[in-house]
Amino acid sequence: MFKKILFATSATEACDHAARVAFNMAQSYDAQICIFHVLGVPTRGFSQVVLDVKTKEKVVLDDEYIAWVEEEIKVHYTKQLETAPNAEIKVAIGFPHREVLRAAREWTPDLIVMGGSTGDDEDSVYKKSMVGSTLQRVAKVAPCPLLVVNRPAASFWGGMSNVIFGTDFSKASDAAFRFALQLVRALDCELHIFHALDIGSMHLGRSMTQDEIESKIRESLRRIRGRYLPEMKDIPEYDFEVWEGIPYVEIVKYAREKHGDLIVMAHHTQKASQEDTRLGSNIEQVIVRAGCPVISINR
Amino acid sequence: MYDFLTGPMFWLSLGICLIGMLVRFVLYFRGLSWQLDRVAYKAYPVHGLKGAVNSIVKWLIPFGTYGWRKQPFMTVIFFGFHIGAVLVPLFLLAHNLILKEKIGFSLMTLNPLLADGLTWTVIVSAVFLALRRIALPEVRILTTWYDYIILLLAVAPFITGLVARYELGNYSFWLTVHILCGEALLIAIPFTKLSHIVLFFASRAQLGMDYGIKRGGMKGKGMAW
Amino acid sequence: MPEGTFCNKKPVDTEEELKALLGDTGGKQYYEEMKSLEVDQDLLWKTIQNTLKSRLKTWLEICAHCGMCADSCFLYLINDQDPKQVPAYKIQSTLGEIVKRKGKVDNDFMHMVMETAWAKCTCCNRCGMYCPHGIDMGIMFGYVRGLCYQQGFVPWEMKIGAGMHRVYRAQMDVTDEDFVETFEWMVEEYEEDYPGLEVPVDKEGADILYTVNAREVKHYPEDLAEAAILFHLAGENWTVPTSGWEQTSLAMFAGDWAACKMQVEHVYAAMERLKPKRMVGTECGHAHRATVVEGPYWAGRSSGKPPVESIHYVEWLAEALREGKLKIDPSKRFKVPVTLQDSCNYVRNHGLKDITREIMSYIVEPGYFREMSPNREHNYCCGGGGGFNGIGLFRSQRNKALITKRDQVLNVGAEMVIAPCHNCWDAIRDLEEEYKIGIKWSFLKPLVIGMVEIPEHLKLKE
Repeated sequence: MFKKILFATSATEACDHAARVAFNMAQSYDAQICIFHVLGVPTRGFSQVVLDVKTKEKVVLDDEYIAWVEEEIKVHYTKQLETAPNAEIKVAIGFPHREVLRAAREWTPDLIVMGGSTGDDEDSVYKKSMVGSTLQRVAKVAPCPLLVVNRPAASFWGGMSNVIFGTDFSKASDAAFRFALQLVRALDCELHIFHALDIGSMHLGRSMTQDEIESKIRESLRRIRGRYLPEMKDIPEYDFEVWEGIPYVEIVKYAREKHGDLIVMAHHTQKASQEDTRLGSNIEQVIVRAGCPVISINR
Repeated sequence: MYDFLTGPMFWLSLGICLIGMLVRFVLYFRGLSWQLDRVAYKAYPVHGLKGAVNSIVKWLIPFGTYGWRKQPFMTVIFFGFHIGAVLVPLFLLAHNLILKEKIGFSLMTLNPLLADGLTWTVIVSAVFLALRRIALPEVRILTTWYDYIILLLAVAPFITGLVARYELGNYSFWLTVHILCGEALLIAIPFTKLSHIVLFFASRAQLGMDYGIKRGGMKGKGMAW
Repeated sequence: MPEGTFCNKKPVDTEEELKALLGDTGGKQYYEEMKSLEVDQDLLWKTIQNTLKSRLKTWLEICAHCGMCADSCFLYLINDQDPKQVPAYKIQSTLGEIVKRKGKVDNDFMHMVMETAWAKCTCCNRCGMYCPHGIDMGIMFGYVRGLCYQQGFVPWEMKIGAGMHRVYRAQMDVTDEDFVETFEWMVEEYEEDYPGLEVPVDKEGADILYTVNAREVKHYPEDLAEAAILFHLAGENWTVPTSGWEQTSLAMFAGDWAACKMQVEHVYAAMERLKPKRMVGTECGHAHRATVVEGPYWAGRSSGKPPVESIHYVEWLAEALREGKLKIDPSKRFKVPVTLQDSCNYVRNHGLKDITREIMSYIVEPGYFREMSPNREHNYCCGGGGGFNGIGLFRSQRNKALITKRDQVLNVGAEMVIAPCHNCWDAIRDLEEEYKIGIKWSFLKPLVIGMVEIPEHLKLKE
């Protein structure tokens, strides 16, 4: 299912759990893996002087420096590289989200794997002129599924028995659904479909009565049945639920209860308003909190 | 001596001055090159003219530009010097009497008290201009002996003129010296920085055309000097 | 003495030479070789005799040494009023001296000239406005840069920049394919949010031909998407050329007039090929100056105008807002103190002072727009103009120069600085990085996109 995996990393500890998952997958699927690292942000002119993301120092870019960084990466991932002798290492300069997307466009991987946030932005090298983290910007428009491993707890990719598919009945969710199906068929595991009924923001101050909630739950269950079940005739093991609450909280809870090994969700294609990007949409919160890897699909 | 100075020398120095200024003025404009200057002078004569006039007129008015307003002291002594330096030689009664004698007509004349006042202003301003050259570091670094000589050359006729006018010392002597200074000044004009008498207008016109044609004159209001 | 491998009088004309020069990290060997670079005095004097005519000659001679230009120059002011930074002194001690000595100057002298021309002047042209004789020392330093470039005494990054234009007809190693590919990629990324978004390439007879800054292609491709989105929302009939899409000219900063000519002719060729009604450039000051203001003269056009009416991005934006092609949602206007950077190249030097303010009136809530002081055509240089931003050798001088702008922004109490010019934007970014005064800064495109109302027929259907 995955023949080419692009592992975008900061080559620091923050991405180690993502590395574990990426290399495990590469091994399991006999996939080609490319370690992609953005080493710095250009500071002037024709990008000859670069602000190194790790050392935060201004560096003059030349072949030697690039080779040195590549070597550092090799050393950092020595163990993982033993399992993937054909792995490529690619180093780039530029703004990370842009370069990751550029690499994905050129190399056409089947999956991008990333770690979560690499730390606070106070002294971040990426200046304040850009809104939104690398993750958000990549997830929004990545040309292939994006697998995010945010916490060490989320990095065990041993056997897969339970795939959680979170939906909001949007078109993007349909695409995520199809991907989840593919995955479940290939990995031969259970599919758990979940919809969270958002009781928070909906009714502008007026909270819904319990009857209203339960009627909406029934309606959602009907929608799941109508929308997804017809395509799942060949799936032996599945179930589906609708819970009310704050969506990302409920999904994480549901995944925990069902011992989910992977969550598949759609990343919304609507442009996030200023507010959204600060709070983070549902999927971003799920990524941050889930106890397993999360795959984001946007098309 | 006096006859010589007010005779042939008068015509010679005046001739040299006027013809010299004309030559410099004409040569300046002939030497402009639209390609090298990167201004399409001939292509937009109206915009060029408007820009040139705007550029010249604003700077002829005390405090008429941001530049003048930024340097109020300099503006005062500058205009103090130049207003008198232009008006007195042209419109002094004594000069116009000679002019009437020489060419048959005279220009309007200044009230003698006004003429005195202007001349004193010229001299005092010149002193301050010189002091400015000594005192201010940004002017000092540019100043050379040449600048002092030019200033002296320019102000000498006024000093000697006043000495003669107040009849201090030997009137005849000082009058002669005054005429000598004046004629020396006239002759020097086309050949020294004093040529700015015409080249100020030429240079400002050029920059005015530049801004009027190329650098924004066609986009609305024109340069706010 | 033979010329150096990297530092010599020959411009960089091929990709190999360019890569080799780039490989000399920081210009180490380049500057080392410059120490023994000979001055071709005959060539220098001959060039001056051929090109220093009435205007420049008179400027040099007529300077009254009055010193009124001193406090018009931000570099003079910021360097504690060092008399050596007086514009008249700067030009008289360089060009004035060269002319006086009839070109008989040596290597040390030319080093001094190089430093003066590139680290003590950004060619912002402000001094010319404060000189009673109208002597524009910014123009003269542009001329001096040309002499220096011819002799090989040019900063490393400038030689590379000129070389880039010679080899790629762009300020960076971005090919025509890169350009089209990136533009199409950006449109793909955003077309889900803006149904129908497209980038017409090489369309003939369009209303607008759009040209960009190669930096946008390489590092800020979102800018390309934003331009496409705004044209799309405004319903413009626009296109980009496959060739001749780069509006900037580092060659102009380098004093490489031959390369300047090649660069603008390349863009004019696109105009003549595609015959648009107008050319609209991106938000860049020197690009506009190079291609629209000075360019026609390098290309020998006696009209002083490009083949097609060409306007700066702010002119198009103001027009779109004025005519209602783009409508701003009043509730989304800025409600924080906002100030505006008046870029020298299209405000002082092309009169667009009121256009930018017109745009402000649409996007800033009344009462929140604060004018910098001084402003409009009297504004100070951002600190990074004329290539200053890009020259490593003179970085510390540039960082000092940023203080002028920093203080202007602090004095006005703005939280957001709008800088519709790549150089100014960089300078303000760097001043924030260096002095951390806590401001935000932006081009106009992303701000307008955040505020614009999407016409009914272009809205996303969900």
